[in-house]
Amino acid sequence: MHLLSFLFEKHLDKTVLAIAVALAIVLLSVGDQSQIRAARAITSVLLYPVNRVTGSFASVESLKQENGELRAMVVTLYQERERLLQFGEERNRLRKLLDLKADTFHRFLSCEVIERSSSPYVHSITVDRGASDSVRAGMAVVNYRGLVGRVSQVFPWSSQVLLLNNKSISVSCADRRSRVVGMLEWDRGNYFRLEYVGKEEDVIVGDTLITSGLGLLFPKGFPVGTVFQITDEKGGIAKRVRVASLASLDALEELFIVTGEKEWNDTGLLDELEKFQVKRTHAR
Amino acid sequence: MNVVRIVFVALVVFVIQVTAIHRIAIAGCTPDLTVILLVALVLERGPVLAVVIGFLLGFLQDLGNASLLGMNALAKSVLAYGVSRVGGGLLPENVLFKGFIVFAACILNDVIVLPIATSFSVGEMVVSFFRYSLLSALYSALVGICIFVLLELLTRRVVRPGGGY
Repeated sequence: MHLLSFLFEKHLDKTVLAIAVALAIVLLSVGDQSQIRAARAITSVLLYPVNRVTGSFASVESLKQENGELRAMVVTLYQERERLLQFGEERNRLRKLLDLKADTFHRFLSCEVIERSSSPYVHSITVDRGASDSVRAGMAVVNYRGLVGRVSQVFPWSSQVLLLNNKSISVSCADRRSRVVGMLEWDRGNYFRLEYVGKEEDVIVGDTLITSGLGLLFPKGFPVGTVFQITDEKGGIAKRVRVASLASLDALEELFIVTGEKEWNDTGLLDELEKFQVKRTHAR
Repeated sequence: MNVVRIVFVALVVFVIQVTAIHRIAIAGCTPDLTVILLVALVLERGPVLAVVIGFLLGFLQDLGNASLLGMNALAKSVLAYGVSRVGGGLLPENVLFKGFIVFAACILNDVIVLPIATSFSVGEMVVSFFRYSLLSALYSALVGICIFVLLELLTRRVVRPGGGY
């Protein structure tokens, strides 16, 4: 009784603090168990409507500007696509001659960022696609410039994405020009280091890095960053290669989840786009 | 303000912090509304309720983020207690002092969070502290001062000519 009176009457504030600290330490030592995943899923479901509402506010001016930029981009991409289709057909004919497997392309699911981590030290976002859209943990997430991150947790209508600058993510990358492979690790901001690159390896400033597909964590061929500085490590056998991310990781809006693969000549998305264009022309 | 209202306000602050606050980010730094709320609670209601609300808010933040569970809960509980010990009895009515307390509380929060978030990597801790913590703390202090002034204006009792309120 004396002890209780001492703890909860004389030193109530210290006792409450001690209980809170002890609970926090217990929580820190508990791993990512199923109950915690369930609690995170419930929080995500509860926050989803608020995220949708706050995410829908945007100024008319910025929408107009974005629309103009997107139209210009669509025209450029149409032309680029025509050129690539010709290359693609030629490439697949040659691969067939060599008895290699036909090329496939990625299937994308568009999504929007509805929440950013409220802590600047935890680099994660939440997007508005979840288990109801067949999203699974481990899927890669890209934007139109390149790789952005990976789905870490899937909730009913949303998913949590760990960004490339999250400490727990390493990406196996290849130099697009010389095919030298290394591991990309976050340094600070939008900058990364390409580790395990030997002194004699052919990597130069300006080279673009793409995902190598090794380790099967990320699909092959997505642009990741550009090499902007190379220095030799003193007395070491490796190069210090610094890389700037292509995607601006602190200003992400519209993204794509890589949900699978499709045949090279599958033109479903383009057909949809053309249907949309025809509909708009008729509406005018 | 009774406890139910405080819990309601805390939940509203949490929702704004997690869902909308990034829209007013400056150079990637956002004000921490939960710290401002905790400072207000400590100065108004003492440490016990502030520690409890701090723990709950931190826990909810941990659930809403991909952070380690318990990281923010620990930081918010300790900072609520720390603010009550240091700032409770000095100049509780002075708005600038409250702003300074918010600044110090944000710094204390990051001093606790950073080692855990960076897995005790000294280089990353130093870079993150100078890159984010200082600016975020300053931003929070300025937003805190605005909120405290606004609350003071809203809750100020008007003295009538007759002498009564």
